[in-house]
Amino acid sequence: MSLESLRAANNIERDATWAEMSFQERIDTAEFRIHERAHITVNGDSCRGCTTRECVVACPANLFVPTSDGGILFNYENCFECGTCYMVCNEAGAITWTYPEGGYGIVFHRT
Amino acid sequence: MTDTDIIVVGAGPAGSCAAIAAAKAGKRVVLIERGPFPGSKNMYGGVIYPRILDELIPDWFEHAPIQRWIVRRSTMLLSDTGALNIDYRSNAWGQAPYNGATAYRPDFDNWLAQQAVAAGAELICSTTVTGLLRDAQGRINGITTDRPDGDLTASVVIACDGVNSFIAKDAGLYKAVDASNYTLGVKETLSLPKNVIDERFGVRDNQGVDIEILGGTSGVNGGGFIYTNLDTIALGVVLKLPKLSAQKKRPEEIIAELKRHPAIAPLIEGAEVIEYSAHLIPEAGLDMMPKMVADGLLVAGDAAALCLAAGIWLEGVNFAMASGMYAGQSAVQAITAGNTTASGLQSYTKKLNETFVLKDHKKLRKIPHLVLSDRVQHKYPGFVTGIMERMFRVENPHPKPGVRRILREERKKAGISLMDLVRDALTGLKGFG
Amino acid sequence: MTIAVCLKWINASGQTDIDDDRFMGFSYADQAALEYALRIAENTNDEVIVVTAGPVGAEAVLRDAIARGAQRAVRIDIDRSHDSAVIAQAIAQVVAHCSLIWCGDYSSDRGSGSVPAFIAAELSFAQALGLVEIQVPADSLHPIRALRRLDGGRREQLEIRGQAVISVEGSTARLRRASLKGSMAANKQAIDIVTVNQVATETPPTRAYRPRARAVAAPVGNSALDRVRQITDTSSSKGHGETVHLEPREAAELIVSKLREWGYQS
Ligand SMILES: Cc1cc2nc3c(=O)[nH]c(=O)nc-3n(C[C@H](O)[C@H](O)[C@H](O)COP(=O)(O)OP(=O)(O)OC[C@H]3O[C@@H](n4cnc5c(N)ncnc54)[C@H](O)[C@@H]3O)c2cc1C
Ligand code: SF4
Ligand code: SF4
Repeated sequence: MSLESLRAANNIERDATWAEMSFQERIDTAEFRIHERAHITVNGDSCRGCTTRECVVACPANLFVPTSDGGILFNYENCFECGTCYMVCNEAGAITWTYPEGGYGIVFHRT
Repeated sequence: MTDTDIIVVGAGPAGSCAAIAAAKAGKRVVLIERGPFPGSKNMYGGVIYPRILDELIPDWFEHAPIQRWIVRRSTMLLSDTGALNIDYRSNAWGQAPYNGATAYRPDFDNWLAQQAVAAGAELICSTTVTGLLRDAQGRINGITTDRPDGDLTASVVIACDGVNSFIAKDAGLYKAVDASNYTLGVKETLSLPKNVIDERFGVRDNQGVDIEILGGTSGVNGGGFIYTNLDTIALGVVLKLPKLSAQKKRPEEIIAELKRHPAIAPLIEGAEVIEYSAHLIPEAGLDMMPKMVADGLLVAGDAAALCLAAGIWLEGVNFAMASGMYAGQSAVQAITAGNTTASGLQSYTKKLNETFVLKDHKKLRKIPHLVLSDRVQHKYPGFVTGIMERMFRVENPHPKPGVRRILREERKKAGISLMDLVRDALTGLKGFG
Repeated sequence: MTIAVCLKWINASGQTDIDDDRFMGFSYADQAALEYALRIAENTNDEVIVVTAGPVGAEAVLRDAIARGAQRAVRIDIDRSHDSAVIAQAIAQVVAHCSLIWCGDYSSDRGSGSVPAFIAAELSFAQALGLVEIQVPADSLHPIRALRRLDGGRREQLEIRGQAVISVEGSTARLRRASLKGSMAANKQAIDIVTVNQVATETPPTRAYRPRARAVAAPVGNSALDRVRQITDTSSSKGHGETVHLEPREAAELIVSKLREWGYQS
């Protein structure tokens, strides 16, 4: 059996290599110069009443993680500073958004 | 006495061109960038149309750090399994006077900012501008930064701080910010050997390809793109923000699905993701633009929502460079004339209205909405590829069906009313006309 | 007096072999060294001079240091591919007049930490290397007190007076931010460029010590197993076991001569 037909028979994607990339591997391809101050903070209390959870789906860096008690766990370190989260969040006061200190944060190389 | 004549906030294409224009006219210019170097915060799809630089840097094409000159421009319509591709090729675009080029922004923006330095502007990196200073009359006369002893005064501040422009918002130039005016762009830089890219895309040397994609974004309104660099491919999607969560699909999953599409997968087979990135686009054009002039302040580029995102066009860098240049020139005029109030700076808006910057936007005003509308997004790709499927499928012994019949049946299958089709066609004709 | 800080221009993105001006900077250890030098100079009214050895691009780190408070900057125009001894000798010529010479303990680009030691040797200065904690003295009359990392979690307490080379570990002090006006002034500051007489001869390339080849007699024995045992067995007592009781000096000499004899040292 050829490799091709073997793949076909088992319904294996021809190039499944990239599909297997974990999110951590994906985010590790970008350079972040991390400052000790969190440039974005999320007020968990506001999130408890939020039904849309827009940020969880939309944040391209996947930094908003829902917790079992209805809150949101947020990490600022691997942030693209894109602004999506504060744009999609409808709960006033849930997100405090600033840029990191000059010189810190995301550093693109081949974008 | 102010610390300097003109402060430019943000060393993207808008900021650097503003600084070049003003410094060339002999003004003292400070160009402030929050990244460690210009371009370090900037990401886009991948094609720049730099002809507007002719005025500021006549020999730009000999020095700009470009990857490939675009000689093939494709528009792809994707249904779940089919693809319609309209492909235009012109090798002439690969020679002077050139047309579009792929380039990495950390390369291009850094180069452009160095041209500003060469023209006499002072570049300060690693410094985030945090707000505006105002004089007793409430006129803007400087900025605050996150540096110790970080205030700086000037006669004119030019805000080129990109899509999130906190400066323009701080100055009260934007109405309420509406998420539906923005799209999120995410992309992967994929590495492949140069010769493999050349073969798969049918180009050689530094010829490049630009593919804009409609459909294929997993039911989220938006679009996709593929651009060739020398030894990488930029592949990404542009997603309308409020729709994202409704579909419960994360951006990287939507990219993954696009990569699996039978028309896309062979182009990128074996490629490795070497950089993942994300950035917002001001998508709504004229309908979201802020006021661009205030006392002592001009706004240019994405900060003024001047990016043109109209489906088959995704142009922002050229609009940023042009508006930045005009802002720089207007600031110089106003300072020389001794009137830097909003009325003294009005020549900027006039210039934008007279040139492609606002002319293109006015012409294409309806297009962003049309392209991102549910019908165009979810019904037309299936409709059009359905027509193609039946036109080109040979089902002998059955004779070929008439085109009119195909059109009618496919339109019904796609659930598009004749009225809507006619209306969209007219909007499109008028909008693109 | 003058306090010198040696800054190495390295790739701050963690790639060790790419010289791209955009991604260059100085290591956390060098940053800590600069911060301590600035703190001390504030109390002692000394002048701080920053030194780097490298090409024109390296002047960016000098300007950065000027923006943060250093007064003078010197770039030694020298190929950075020279080995540590040559670089150290070049730096020593520039900083010989200084009271203190601060360095990072080692740079993040595969640095070995040998430059500070070479500088101290070159100038016959005292050395306090690999410090983890430093008490900044209130004025120039008091010594600098410091803690040095030793093996096994132990610490050595040091008191530094007079001329010395000091190296500190990264992240022991956070480097202050430059003021905006400081950065603007630094852009205009002149940087001294010196070309040094290259006095040091390049040390010959060193390689890992390996025992020299020795002739070993073929094993004799009746069975193959015996013969294999003879060449592989470690438990047989034909090893070099020997216990001696000697003064340190003689002991050291004996060890060296034995190592030579066994072929470990040429
Ligand atoms: C996914 C995607 C694809 C795109 N594709 C294309 C394309 O193919 N072709 C095209 O022409 N355009 C494209 N665009 C649009 C284009 O990128 C923008 O229109 C263009 O970058 C705008 O330039 P600018 O100078 O106005 O803003 P930016 O390029 O965003 O530059 C703003 C600068 O200001 C700095 N800054 C921001 N805030 C501060 C502050 N407070 N203090 C100091 N500095 C600050 C930033 O670091 C940045 O350097 C795309 C955009 C995206 C997101
Ligand atoms: S951050 Fe905003 S969108 Fe996200 S969970 Fe909290 S309130 Fe909801
Ligand atoms: S700015 Fe963008 S990357 Fe950062 S947390 Fe918000 S959505 Fe995520």
